[in-house]
Amino acid sequence: MPVNSLREYLDLLDTTGWLRPFDQPVSWDLEASAATMLANIRDGPIPVFESITGIETESKLVGDPYRGPQARPWNHFAQALDLPDGLSGRTYYDRVIDRLNAPTAPRTVASHEAPCKETVRTGNEVDLLSFPWPYIHEGDGGRYSNHHTIVAPDPDTEWGTWSSHRMMIHDSSRASLLLLAGEQVPNRYYYDYEPRGEPMPVAVVIGSEPTVESTADMWIPTGRSEAAFAGGLKDAPVDLVQCETNDLYVPATAELVLEGHVRPDDRLDEGPFGDYFGYMNGPRRSMPVFEVDAITHRDEPRIPFCVEGSGVGYGQNSTSTLRLVAAGPDATVGLRAAGFDVAMAVPWRFTSRTVWVIATDRPYPGYLHELANFIFTTWGMLHIDFFVFVDAAVDPLDPRAVLTAIALEADPDADFHQFGVERMPKVPLNIYQTPDEKGSADVGTSKAKTAKAYIDATTDGETTETTTTETRKRAQERLVEAGLDAARFDRLDEREAKSQ
Amino acid sequence: MIPFTQYVRGLAGDDDLVRLDGPFEIPVDALAAEALRASGPALRFQRSTGTDLVSGVFSGPDQTQHREARPWSRLSLGLGLDPEAALVDLLETIGDLGPAGENPEPTYTGQAASGTDIELQDLQFPQGETETWPAVTLGVASVSTADGTHWAPVHGSVVGGDTLRVRVPDALSSLVAAGTTMAIALGVPPAAITTAYVLAVTGQTATPIQSCGVTGTVPLVPTNGGLVPSATEAVIETTVADRQPDFRSDRREGWEHVVASGPLSLSVESVRTTENPVIPISPVGCPLADDLQLTGLATAATLYDRLNNYWGISPVEWVMLPAEAELGICFVASDILYGGFEWQLANILFSFSSLFDTVVIVDEDVPPQDFGRVLADFWLKSHPARDWMFSEPDAPAATRPHYRRDNETGSRLYVNAAWDPRWKETYIAPRVTFENSFPSSVRDVARVLWNESDIAPGVMTENESPH
Repeated sequence: MPVNSLREYLDLLDTTGWLRPFDQPVSWDLEASAATMLANIRDGPIPVFESITGIETESKLVGDPYRGPQARPWNHFAQALDLPDGLSGRTYYDRVIDRLNAPTAPRTVASHEAPCKETVRTGNEVDLLSFPWPYIHEGDGGRYSNHHTIVAPDPDTEWGTWSSHRMMIHDSSRASLLLLAGEQVPNRYYYDYEPRGEPMPVAVVIGSEPTVESTADMWIPTGRSEAAFAGGLKDAPVDLVQCETNDLYVPATAELVLEGHVRPDDRLDEGPFGDYFGYMNGPRRSMPVFEVDAITHRDEPRIPFCVEGSGVGYGQNSTSTLRLVAAGPDATVGLRAAGFDVAMAVPWRFTSRTVWVIATDRPYPGYLHELANFIFTTWGMLHIDFFVFVDAAVDPLDPRAVLTAIALEADPDADFHQFGVERMPKVPLNIYQTPDEKGSADVGTSKAKTAKAYIDATTDGETTETTTTETRKRAQERLVEAGLDAARFDRLDEREAKSQ
Repeated sequence: MIPFTQYVRGLAGDDDLVRLDGPFEIPVDALAAEALRASGPALRFQRSTGTDLVSGVFSGPDQTQHREARPWSRLSLGLGLDPEAALVDLLETIGDLGPAGENPEPTYTGQAASGTDIELQDLQFPQGETETWPAVTLGVASVSTADGTHWAPVHGSVVGGDTLRVRVPDALSSLVAAGTTMAIALGVPPAAITTAYVLAVTGQTATPIQSCGVTGTVPLVPTNGGLVPSATEAVIETTVADRQPDFRSDRREGWEHVVASGPLSLSVESVRTTENPVIPISPVGCPLADDLQLTGLATAATLYDRLNNYWGISPVEWVMLPAEAELGICFVASDILYGGFEWQLANILFSFSSLFDTVVIVDEDVPPQDFGRVLADFWLKSHPARDWMFSEPDAPAATRPHYRRDNETGSRLYVNAAWDPRWKETYIAPRVTFENSFPSSVRDVARVLWNESDIAPGVMTENESPH
């Protein structure tokens, strides 16, 4: 059975030896984050900090719970979905794509059936500071919640829209939300609610079940419900429960829910923050204010957080892993639905929000340009600068194969295509623009524009294999018999067996 | 100097070599290729004939995954360095093997390959699944001229009981005529084969080894061809039968992408081996193959030396032509001395090597063993419009990539993924690292937490230390 809550997921990790509870007192003030970063860098187990110093509640902190093993980042998430252990990356993608192609509508449950309502606080009982929001990097602008699902209204879906935006805590009831125009929820605020002078109801859901957490990062088109895709992923409905103070529905098994609203024409400082680029970046800027109206939570809530910046290069963290294991399959589904003959779309594992690799056939001249144009204009292109296209036969989860394709097949003269010179928007989190270029635009994008590019690293002809697949498979089996680690050999998995 | 068999024993002693017992129904080169793809250990193929083969001894793990060993760890061991040696130490050591300012004093000792003369087929070279003939790889050809002995890498096929068809650099072909004696040494000390590669990739095959650093470190022995290392596992003495045979091989060793090469047909005169010879093989054409790694390191050593002897100072930290990119991209880490220096740096590299036409420049503090960071900075620090610089489309095509094989000119590209030296210090975003993001007292707390754990994550990494 797929897991139904963060707790079940942590229990699953515990059974596989990938969880490390710490009962020693640990501070939210950098200590939990530092210990988590060590694990992220060293590919260690997921830390759970059971005893947080200096807080009133019995909360626990969980450091980057969705980080996968560096060799097979999808492994933990696959187990959470009740898929077999040890799948190759390509097989994992196939299975998840099958699930995403069969969305399952959520079901609603009554408040008394929802674990996230074990404690309900409203009015004067609301106190954000009673929870151990971590101070993640020295130099951050403040304490953050950065591993959560934002639920916002969407007139086109019954269940609202889900996304993920970091949140800096200011006091007992207020936080600033990083809303960057160009994405669905920020656009709803900046171009709908705020011009009308209306507060936008929002729920910040912390410690959701794995499939919920993963869909918040997907590019689900408007009019489609993330909740249904989360249900598809787990092959069962996601339980939702109505908020106490607004009409939004939130995942019932969540650890903690902050109900509130984003005020119009009100701003608080946000940042700087060591973000997903792996660098501390600024400047501190003004961002919309989230005011908390109610807090509901489970007993002894587990509060996950992400040490952003540790998911670049070899390191992995929750967000880099979720991008690979969930956003990638989702993007593949989306591109196929748009009519493109795409084998796989995969984030580049060393910088998962800057570069994507797409393995695809080229059925007609100009196809790659059309594909690039489609994704540049329909995806969250504030973040992504590059797409690399490789042959459908190339495994985009294998960085060596991708690097080889770029080196041998991408002709600087003909295969590097820029979409205009500095005509496109960019998040100010990047590090290649100067502070002056980033500026402090009202809606959060950089003042200066940037360029987008795609690289055609597909071959122009047939490639010849010197060894048959069957011989390769037999060779791998022989090497495993000789003592080499079986996990290193993808061709031993069922996908290859099926192709024989 | 470390003899080849001692080197192989060293790899086994480091648990970096696995023995496989014959017979081998699966082609040996297929086994070798799969082990390389999997970043596995070196392999020793034990055969009842008494002649063992080894693969992967000059290669190493795929750097696109986080690993403790480096792709250059094995060769470092083979050249007398610590396996943990820094890349630049290895590059400098490789550079010292090549042409020297003075003639080192050679040492002559007895030939280890002094067994009874055997037939060429007795060595049972591996034959690929789609190959017509057994393949000879990772050989060193040795010929003698009035100037001295000349070494070059050689590979080819056993096409009969006494016939080899091989490819050697044109520079070596030009030194021989029909009837010239050529020795082919297999299983030479790592320093010797590395020297042959250095001479080839620098176009200095015509320079006699008596003028190279290797002569001072590798004991030699005369053969009917030229001098070969005394501690050679197998010496095949041949005469040149045909300087222009009709022989084409689809498989090219890495060095053949650097220099022009051509075929020779050789008549085998004698084959002598040690008592239980161990012969290295490379699955030519497969990812991370030994010949590719040797070519990449030899080329990087040459470029590193040239760059740091160009400006009067040594701004370049390291140069790498990773086998993971099949030698088609050059990565360089350097102090960017002034605005525009990156343009100079890239174009000097293009001048000194025709292998690639893409150069990626990263900051000097990026360690070569943290290739994951290189592959992140590549995209993160380069502005997609301003830092991807394409030349006019008038450059000849590089020799390694597959495109533009029609002699058409095209563009070269350099990616500047280093900070602009003209930027104010306040513009430079600090990296998120364990060292930068937490005060020392907090780092100590974190380390203690894990050190007290019975399942502590692994060893300290580069990302945890300042550079």
